[in-house]
Amino acid sequence: MRTFLLLSSLSFALFVGIILISSRLPSPMPEQAVEGKLVWQKHNCISCHTLFGNGGYVGEDLTNITRKETPSQIVNYLIKPPVVPPNKYTHHPGLAIKDAQNLVHYLEFISTIPTLGWPPQKEKAGKES
Amino acid sequence: MKLLSFLPFLGKTQKPVVRKQQFLAQKISRRYCFTAVTLFALQSVVAVTGAIDLVIPDLPSPIPFEFGRAIHLGLADLWPLIGTMGMVYYFITAELDREIYSPPLARWQYWIVVLFSLAIFTSLSFKIGNGREFLEGLPVLYMGICISLALASYNLIRTLFMVKNNITPAAAVMTVGIIFLLLLLLPNTIFYSNPITDEATKFWVVHLWEEMAFELTSAGFIATFYVVSGLADRAKVEKWLYLEASLAVVGGLYGTGHHYYWIGFPAVWLVIGSLVSIVEVIPVGILVHMTYKGLKSKKNRSRREKLTLWLLLSSVFYHITGASLLGLLITIPWVNLYMHGTYVTSGHAHLALFGTLGFLVLSGCYYILSRGSEPTLKGYKSGVLAVILLNVGLLGMASALLAAGLKESYLWRYLGMDFEQVRLQLNLYLFIRALGGAVFALGDLFLFWLICKTWKQTKLPKR
Repeated sequence: MRTFLLLSSLSFALFVGIILISSRLPSPMPEQAVEGKLVWQKHNCISCHTLFGNGGYVGEDLTNITRKETPSQIVNYLIKPPVVPPNKYTHHPGLAIKDAQNLVHYLEFISTIPTLGWPPQKEKAGKES
Repeated sequence: MKLLSFLPFLGKTQKPVVRKQQFLAQKISRRYCFTAVTLFALQSVVAVTGAIDLVIPDLPSPIPFEFGRAIHLGLADLWPLIGTMGMVYYFITAELDREIYSPPLARWQYWIVVLFSLAIFTSLSFKIGNGREFLEGLPVLYMGICISLALASYNLIRTLFMVKNNITPAAAVMTVGIIFLLLLLLPNTIFYSNPITDEATKFWVVHLWEEMAFELTSAGFIATFYVVSGLADRAKVEKWLYLEASLAVVGGLYGTGHHYYWIGFPAVWLVIGSLVSIVEVIPVGILVHMTYKGLKSKKNRSRREKLTLWLLLSSVFYHITGASLLGLLITIPWVNLYMHGTYVTSGHAHLALFGTLGFLVLSGCYYILSRGSEPTLKGYKSGVLAVILLNVGLLGMASALLAAGLKESYLWRYLGMDFEQVRLQLNLYLFIRALGGAVFALGDLFLFWLICKTWKQTKLPKR
């Protein structure tokens, strides 16, 4: 039993240490991005969308959305949310403009985090520039 | 009419039998188990509603999909937790053949965990939450769950100290499992601005609760179940328990690496995650070996034991297939690159979370709540029918999700088609998933009803 307890404690301590070292951000996170993270959490966006592939599968992964759409396009989408197909009447949840802007800052920051080549989705021609 | 006779709603399903002396902790564990089974019934109803919401456009709902899903995931975490708390109290007292350190503390713990769990579900239905997958409730409410787990840990440690020289492997392993549940949830009660830390910590519950902490409580439960029910010798089932537990801890911890491939962690996690995931399969193998040894030991079993085994063997089946083998396949980095973030993950999660853990907790809860009774032939058949419906429903759901995920991986990830176009092509699979969910919910409600009747009949009069 002692060996089991010792092994468990040491493994857990080492694991926590490695996680702390591995969690370093590539650059400091701007204040607006932190605010945007709170907006993301408050509106439970994770239930329908994924970040880094983790979350709900109903909506598109948003890890690199700011590379495909401009900030103003995303803000407009969020403050005047369109109908989400296959629905005919139900709109995407909407946000106040300030919240939408902060959320875009958060998503912009997310896209700067290196994800080792994931997602493998091919970029569409003409959208990259 | 013959089919109707299987239904648990009609006729006598249980007959009383003489029970041995019951410890207070075992009596208290009944309320944990009954609450767990009730929340499980609620979960399948919530989940089916959400699945239908996805296939019927513009379906009116009092709770929006995003919060309904959050309630479903919250329930998926918390009912097995509450059931496990009850099972650990029941089987530790049976294993040590003595009362726990403090039964009143176990009662307090029950009210705290139930109160905070209900607060999580209620606040989410009012669209108040914290938006972290599987931990969508407000952090302060998870602090309440932590308090409950701290009381459990304290109570169990003190109980083990009371029998210092006679601590059995199963009792020790279950106690460590409960302590780990606390240690892994605690860091999830604070806000992380760093999204990498946030993701990493989330998997301490999403992955480590199940593949480490609950694996310890499950291993302890299976061993104790065989021993206390007289189905197998202690020596046979406990022979490899510490080895199994040690591998579950080390493999579980570093195997979390397969969730860390693409969240901003260094590339070394691709190696750690994929290699240690292989180690994770070994304790499952030992667990299966232990279950097999127990099964081989005795041929004549009561109907109550057989029904418990139906549920337990369902769990073992999904542990090997859905959780371990499928899990191992999708942790291969080259496979994961394409399948991660698609419905494949969702299919795997259903098989691993409900298939493995859910069935196991149900088997323990049924065994505890049916103590002092024996199913009639009709009751037994109703129980088996419920288990079959649960299995058919789960396999239907998971197969549909896996097929949807494979198509999604190919069209979206590999060919680079537009997400919306691909999404519209998945409707048929999501419809089949909803059908599977409905069958599953039917089995769930049958089992719930049967357990309700059993619980009512085995209730002891208040002294």
